[in-house]
Amino acid sequence: MSRPIDLLQGTLDMLILKAVSLGPLHGYGVLLRIQQISGEQLEIQQGSLYPALYRLEHQGLIASEWGESDNKRKAKFYSLTAAGRRQLHSETEKWNRMASLIASILRTTPEQI
Amino acid sequence: MNLVARFRSWLRWIVKGQRLEREMDAEVRFHIESYAADLVRKGISQQESVRQARIEFGGIESHKDAMRASVGVRWWGELGSDIRYGSRLLLKNPGFTTVAILTLALGVGANTAIFSIVNAVLLRSLPYRDPDRLVRIVFNEPGLGLRDITYSEPEIEDLTTRADVFEQVSPMAGGSVAMTGIKQPERLELAVVGFDYFSILGATPQIGRLIGRQDYQPGFSDSVVISDAFWRREFGGAPDVIGRNLRLDGDPCVIVGVLPPDFHHPNLTVSGNVEVWAAAGFSADPFPKPIRSKRTLNAGVIGRLKRGITIKQAQARLTAVAAEIRQEFPATYPAQSRWTIEIRPLREFLVGDVRPMLLALQGAVILIVFVVSLNIANLLLARASGRQQEMAVRLALGATRGRMIRQMLTESLLLSIVGGVAGVLTALAGLHFLMRFVPLNIPRLNEVSIDSAVVGFALLISIVTGLIFGLAPALQLSKVGVSSAIREGGRGSGYSTKTGRLRDALIVSELALAVMLMVGAGLLLRTLRDLLQENPGFNPTQVVTANVWIPVPDNPDQDPYRGITPKVIFDRELLRRLKTIPGVELAAITTDVPTTNHKLNDPAGSEPLIIEDRPVESNQDLHAERTRISPDYFRLMEAPLLRGRAFTDGDGESGQPVVIIDETTARRYWLDRDPLGRRVRFGHDPAKPWMTIVGIVRDIKSDGLDVDGVPHIYVSTFQDPWRSQSIVLRTSLPAAALESQIRRTVWSIDPNLPVFGVVSMNELIDRSLTSRRFSAQLVGGFASVALLLASIGIYGLLAYLVGQRSREIAVRMALGAGRADVLKLFLRRGAALAGIGIVAGVIFSASTASLMSSLLYGVRPHDPAVFLFVPLLLFVVAVLASYLPARRATKVDPIFALRES
Repeated sequence: MSRPIDLLQGTLDMLILKAVSLGPLHGYGVLLRIQQISGEQLEIQQGSLYPALYRLEHQGLIASEWGESDNKRKAKFYSLTAAGRRQLHSETEKWNRMASLIASILRTTPEQI
Repeated sequence: MNLVARFRSWLRWIVKGQRLEREMDAEVRFHIESYAADLVRKGISQQESVRQARIEFGGIESHKDAMRASVGVRWWGELGSDIRYGSRLLLKNPGFTTVAILTLALGVGANTAIFSIVNAVLLRSLPYRDPDRLVRIVFNEPGLGLRDITYSEPEIEDLTTRADVFEQVSPMAGGSVAMTGIKQPERLELAVVGFDYFSILGATPQIGRLIGRQDYQPGFSDSVVISDAFWRREFGGAPDVIGRNLRLDGDPCVIVGVLPPDFHHPNLTVSGNVEVWAAAGFSADPFPKPIRSKRTLNAGVIGRLKRGITIKQAQARLTAVAAEIRQEFPATYPAQSRWTIEIRPLREFLVGDVRPMLLALQGAVILIVFVVSLNIANLLLARASGRQQEMAVRLALGATRGRMIRQMLTESLLLSIVGGVAGVLTALAGLHFLMRFVPLNIPRLNEVSIDSAVVGFALLISIVTGLIFGLAPALQLSKVGVSSAIREGGRGSGYSTKTGRLRDALIVSELALAVMLMVGAGLLLRTLRDLLQENPGFNPTQVVTANVWIPVPDNPDQDPYRGITPKVIFDRELLRRLKTIPGVELAAITTDVPTTNHKLNDPAGSEPLIIEDRPVESNQDLHAERTRISPDYFRLMEAPLLRGRAFTDGDGESGQPVVIIDETTARRYWLDRDPLGRRVRFGHDPAKPWMTIVGIVRDIKSDGLDVDGVPHIYVSTFQDPWRSQSIVLRTSLPAAALESQIRRTVWSIDPNLPVFGVVSMNELIDRSLTSRRFSAQLVGGFASVALLLASIGIYGLLAYLVGQRSREIAVRMALGAGRADVLKLFLRRGAALAGIGIVAGVIFSASTASLMSSLLYGVRPHDPAVFLFVPLLLFVVAVLASYLPARRATKVDPIFALRES
């Protein structure tokens, strides 16, 4: 098995937005969801998730509400706001453009120059 | 980004911080417990799972810190803990804290109190409607060296008819009026104003109505308006005062309105405020006929400029109008007098005179608060060096320097704000006390209060001082090297050069500021001392004065004192009876008691003078003040006659008109020629008779001890009497003992004349110096505080040094240094610091002293005595302050000091 990939600078916010876009989650749930959808490939320091969650909430991209977790405990659930949805959309677009650009650069062969 | 959302979230944190903090804890706990539960499910033991969950989560506190930072409230929380920590430190050092807060309270309190006066007098707008359009109109004759001269009614008309700049104008004559028909006649402070006066100022009555255009009369209108103070004193504040009658100068008047308590007449007054306002058209009895050349109205015209016209534009227009009038009436306005109309903003006119004094006081209190803050900086610095280790440990544990500086500044600002609040409270409590000493000749004192601007200023001063005394230790700490500080601190010795230099700099600045304050105080005190020792030209001891006002009824036919003769008869009889009062040696009458300067009933200031046999062209700049006196005046005042003779009883109506001139007049207009026997005349009216000079008297300081070089001409009151007179008596009795006798004597001749202001001449001289005494003593007090603080500073520094270097001293002494050597070591240091500070202070003072020149009399701003004495005094005090700790250094027991370490 390959070593887990370190998270790229600035992508944590995007991953959080994506994770909560699939449904409200508490902090620990966000962590699990990211790990799950990444196929356990990404290494996130657990504690560093929270400053990011607070920052996103502070920016109005996600909203929080106290609710009950699966194991019947009080937990704080985060959900995407309209502004967050827009942000996720534009970030995704930017990311895809960037990725395809980088990919095409890397595909370049000597003949193409 | 969405700023609104951010701000809302931030605000939520500020307001509900504690709840959100708890939620943060709960959230983190939930995460760790959930993860631990998952780990248990994977087969890890309960204990081990919690441990691992915690490890994988990372440092809880640092993550929480990052969470706070990400919503922008971390500094807020830190501020809270800094304040808590700072307060604990301050409470732990009650001695230091008390000293610091007390000195700050005094410094800030003095600043606040003085600023509340500066604010009310100099900064706030005048309390009238639209005050920026209010101007004072002044007539000048620059060709004769005369300012603010008298005027005639047609000239007032010109202001509105010829120049299209004023909405309205109003003369403001001031003076006395006799209220009769009550137990005893009483003198009231009267303002005779035009019918537009109240509308110009935008005044509103408290009850009743004010006088306006509809009341117009060419002479006096029957209606009068009274002040709130007079209403309460005379009528007990009864609301039915409207419609009541007053008998003023013999005429029945009706009270139509009462002004509110905060309304003040915008002109100088004798008793603080006008009590009765009467309106007049200034063009019928008892005023002279409205003839242009009869310029007998007192100075003091106010006007309201039309909207949109600047002072400059208005002045240009008025200058042109004056030129036009001069051309039209060349006989009334001789070319050489260069008669002009000038306007000045009313506020500047009212407060311009006291500005230098108030600014000097404000400067002095700002200096003192700097001295205070430097002193506290020194104390803090001494304390900070004790805290070096603490700071080094913090640095080692990862605190940033910025964070530590912030904490130090928070502590200092905490101190300064507590001191500032104490200062404002001091000012609130002390302002009333201070106001009792504030000279009453400062206008607008009734407006002094501690308002938001004053509190803002106090806050500013506190913060600035907090920054001054907080920055020094903070900067010093930020330079602490971790390892060296821990080591140095551990050794508990050593006076690091960096700290040393900072402390030296503080002491030097403190001394320099002290020099500046002391030089200022020295100059003011020398001025005061010189004035007290000034020869006033007469002997003021055992002289009692009193004022009498001879009323002016509206109808001249009802005036028992019409013309010259009745007044002369009254004067002669009054003098005869005054001399019979037991204990009175001599009695005289004058219209100008020295140093009182009440020109309110006099034609203002100097009058133009014509000298016979001089070509008209050379009559330029000829003027003199006219004082009417009775024959014994000079003898009574012990003013030496230099040449010629005094007036006699024979110099009466039928005799040849005679005058006596003073030395200044003689020197100025006759140079080396003999003025005796020559003839002079006041004013431009050729019909007036020439008056022969019969004597020369030594200069009397009539206009105040600090006024020189004004020519005076004395005329006999038996030839040219005046309605506003003063009685002077030479007597060994005190004024209080004579008051009722003087009253009875006057009333035995005429029971309708008010007698007022019975005081001794010395008391009057004393009053004339109130302003100077107040500022000199205040600045003197500040200077002594500065001297004290500076010497405490230098003492503290050297005492600290001695303590720090006791081991070094012990070594030196063990190696054979004598006590004298040790003493010299520290004395030299104290002297060096004092020397540098004093030189710096002298240089600063020398470059700023000329700012004070308008406050000085007889002393130059660079007075060598002051500039020699102050440094010397400060140096001696500084050396003494260094001697005490230095002597203690010589008492160091080598064995003990070495063993102790």
